[in-house]
Amino acid sequence: MAKNKNKGKPRNYALDSGVYRFSASKMFHKKAIHKFLKKTVAKKPADKKPVFVEKKIKGDKNGGTRMVRVKKLTNNVPTMDVKTCILHTKRKSVFSKHSRKLRPSLTPGVVAIILAGVHKGKRVVALKQLETGLLLITGPLKLNGCPLRRINQRYLLATKTSINVSGVKVPETINDKYFARVKSDNKVKKDGNIFENKKEDYKPSEQRKADRASVDKQVLEAIKKHPQGAALKSYFKAGFGLNKGEYPHKMIF
Amino acid sequence: MAPKSGRLYAKGVFTGFKRGLRNQHENTALLKVDGCAGQEDARWYIGKRCVYVYKAKNKTSVPNSKEKSQLRCIWGKVTRPHGNAGSVRAKFRRNLPPQAMGCRVRIMLYPSRI
Repeated sequence: MAKNKNKGKPRNYALDSGVYRFSASKMFHKKAIHKFLKKTVAKKPADKKPVFVEKKIKGDKNGGTRMVRVKKLTNNVPTMDVKTCILHTKRKSVFSKHSRKLRPSLTPGVVAIILAGVHKGKRVVALKQLETGLLLITGPLKLNGCPLRRINQRYLLATKTSINVSGVKVPETINDKYFARVKSDNKVKKDGNIFENKKEDYKPSEQRKADRASVDKQVLEAIKKHPQGAALKSYFKAGFGLNKGEYPHKMIF
Repeated sequence: MAPKSGRLYAKGVFTGFKRGLRNQHENTALLKVDGCAGQEDARWYIGKRCVYVYKAKNKTSVPNSKEKSQLRCIWGKVTRPHGNAGSVRAKFRRNLPPQAMGCRVRIMLYPSRI
């Protein structure tokens, strides 16, 4: 090779205006950078991502699967903003999640007066609070004709008298579903039976009678054990009523 | 079984509508409750439902009964005490008729707070 006369001198220099004499591409050739570059590996063909994905859906008559896009289209805008959607669902208070409160005066075993309904005026025994917040009460049936029943706390006037019902075991099966109204299975026939009044009088089922009998038996025993058991029996039999000179705001029940 | 029970409501009288000297507001009725002497007594009755029961010439249907009767009623609610002498304010679903002034209004014992 010929002697490099330019050894020591810079290859690139600035002109008076500040711009450099040789461009990047010229410098590439001057410095012979092609000799020092590593060879790049050929690009592998990119893994083809599927555009559609098969997803399973519920429902018998829906075909079982749907082809859903992996990447949503830009014009696929939801009708409702997701954030507001969640806000709405959080604000809704579902009945099943309501907190149930119980008045401190209505503990199990308390004798209460029913203020409204078919059994108004009767003195009954409060047994426990059910999941929906309603109270389970019983007459007992033999004493005042009030069966095992659900009632709202607001229609009960708690008295100071209470019976020790810790020994009374109410079966677990007696809950709100047990008392739910039975829907008639009669399907409307098109022969004109729609216009017939098919209201049947309520008759307690055998299950109800059996449960009622077993619970009442235990309650009656608890009443017997009470120090004033005999008086309590006639107390239950009598109804409650206000008389002349009796003002509820002055009474202690 | 149990004999028919007695009265399950407090007796009250409809004394008039809420009013200033020269103007009256018929949407709120004033009730004087028997035996209720002061504001503290009156507070017991807040929230209790009240009924004005009256008779009319024509028979109208009764809920849960096939027989029609001449008895009619206007339901309402005790809202707050009125004054210092045991009166109470009540709002009825429809305003009470003025001929009810001086007549009996029943104040039920429910919704119970005891």
